[in-house]
Amino acid sequence: MIEIKNISKDLGEFHLKDVTMEIRDGEYFVIIGPTGAGKSILLETLAGIYRPDGGQIMMDGRDITNIPSRERNIGMVYQDYTLFPYLNVDQNIGFGLKNLKMDKEGIKAKVEELKEFMGIGHLAHRYPGTLSGGEQQKVAIARAIAIEPKVLLLDEPLSALDSRTKSYLRDGLKRVKKEYDVTMVHVTHDQTEGIMLADRIAVIMDGRLIQVGTPHEIFNHPKNEKMASFVGIENVLNGEIVGNRGGIAEISVGSHGSLFAVTEHESGSVKLFVRPEDVILSKEKCDNTARNVMMGAIIDMQDMGPLTRVTLENDVVALVTKRSLENMALNIGHQVYATFKTTSAHVALD
Amino acid sequence: MLQNIVENKIKYSAITVCLLLTFFIFVLMVCVVTHTSVGALFDSLRSNEIQFAIRLSIITSLISTILCILVSIPVAYAIARYDFWGKSIVNTILDVPLALPPLVAGVGLLILFGTTSFGDMLEGVGLKFVFTPLGVIIAQFFVNVPYMFRILRGTFQGINPRYEHVANTLGCTDWQTFWRVTLPMAKNGLLAGSVITWSKGIGEFGAALMLAGATRMKTETLPISLYLNMSSGELNLAIASATILIVISLVSLFVFERFGGFARVF
Repeated sequence: MIEIKNISKDLGEFHLKDVTMEIRDGEYFVIIGPTGAGKSILLETLAGIYRPDGGQIMMDGRDITNIPSRERNIGMVYQDYTLFPYLNVDQNIGFGLKNLKMDKEGIKAKVEELKEFMGIGHLAHRYPGTLSGGEQQKVAIARAIAIEPKVLLLDEPLSALDSRTKSYLRDGLKRVKKEYDVTMVHVTHDQTEGIMLADRIAVIMDGRLIQVGTPHEIFNHPKNEKMASFVGIENVLNGEIVGNRGGIAEISVGSHGSLFAVTEHESGSVKLFVRPEDVILSKEKCDNTARNVMMGAIIDMQDMGPLTRVTLENDVVALVTKRSLENMALNIGHQVYATFKTTSAHVALD
Repeated sequence: MLQNIVENKIKYSAITVCLLLTFFIFVLMVCVVTHTSVGALFDSLRSNEIQFAIRLSIITSLISTILCILVSIPVAYAIARYDFWGKSIVNTILDVPLALPPLVAGVGLLILFGTTSFGDMLEGVGLKFVFTPLGVIIAQFFVNVPYMFRILRGTFQGINPRYEHVANTLGCTDWQTFWRVTLPMAKNGLLAGSVITWSKGIGEFGAALMLAGATRMKTETLPISLYLNMSSGELNLAIASATILIVISLVSLFVFERFGGFARVF
């Protein structure tokens, strides 16, 4: 287990402030955040490239804060691959094995095994400059796991790749974790990547840790408005809890009347978050279990490919599929009902 | 239409000046090389004096180039990778020999080694620089070390430190990282720098003249030989030295262009 305790680091342009988190053995841990949030410094501090200005890093109970990179038993993979350009694929993968004082035969066997595993057996004597981005990243991953690290640190490993290669390598990373039983710490600005890969996600903004949780918790139960906006929850309503019956609170939201949400809170002013894809639009009032209904005229419709983003005059935003849009023949100016379930509304104390 | 004519005028005048300059340089070299007959040139090349000058030039320039490499690697690495107090002043001072007229550099070296107790101390342990071939080496080193330094500084700055970080995570100590990653990645810069430093060293005249003097068959490098033989009217010997210097310049220019494309001296 890696325990990061109150780590701070100031590099001028980028910084970390008092970051504390735990990364469990064998988990796929994804760190997301906007560009410049300090994600990469956190990773490089874990790698031992930077010494923190304050705080402590523990690995399996051992303080590694001041231990050099080479003794941390970690692997590092960067977005730009950083393969040694003067070495061929085999020599790149075997680079770290030489330091383990392995004999030539041992290195050769290990390199072959890794090439086989990554599906790059045919590249043996090619030089990095002649490989595609995806091939280079596979070599870089093979080179990092060759030394059998306990933790693999990945800094935006898929960000420079096209979408097909990306999805192929995403599966590759999952296989690496399973086969080599290595803890993965993956930094990205791409939320989809986080959802698809992560056991748990940490969100970092402006050098601070904002929230840690499962992908479901992060994307559905944001801790505050900033987090909500970062994970794409466009509907934020200010309200006041007026009562709570059996874990379902009635919240007065001014002109919208009363809305209901699942929460333990019994009083206080709150923010209500609803994901736009959880809002259902209809021309007639829906007769179903959803208790939250608002009405409004459509003021904007934005085509986003398979989905259309519909904005109502009361600032409620909904994502609607092409088909239901066509079925209902919706257009700008139409009055519609916006409905969502009590379980789709997430409450955070203001 | 009018604009077209103006553009064409500019185009043809510019190309004409360009061709004139090229022709000027070419004619100059041909003049030197063809000034004597081929037979006379080969006779001169076989003379004891020119043989001595070739040998002394090659030995001194090789040693001064090696010194430039050994000193420039740590200096350039320090400037490229680390921040330290007074770095920008240090960086500027390191470039000074580049702008200094070599004669002035030579006077400085002569005063340092010839008139100070530091010079006496060095002489005491057998390192005599004034009017000796050792002086030629030091003069070449002092005048040319900024070339090597500048090329290597650019080279090291061009190497993304991430390569070194990755090597560290793969188990390399800082020294191993330097040997196995930084130096191999600086290979082209090292080669380009060595070639330019060596060819400048072979041609070094002013500072060497001041410190080591111009003594026949003692401190007589190719440029000194050219100078001495021009002064004494031995034109064939002078042309032989000049021809060799032209060949060396052309070859090193070719190598530099081939490998040092990314490295900038100025």
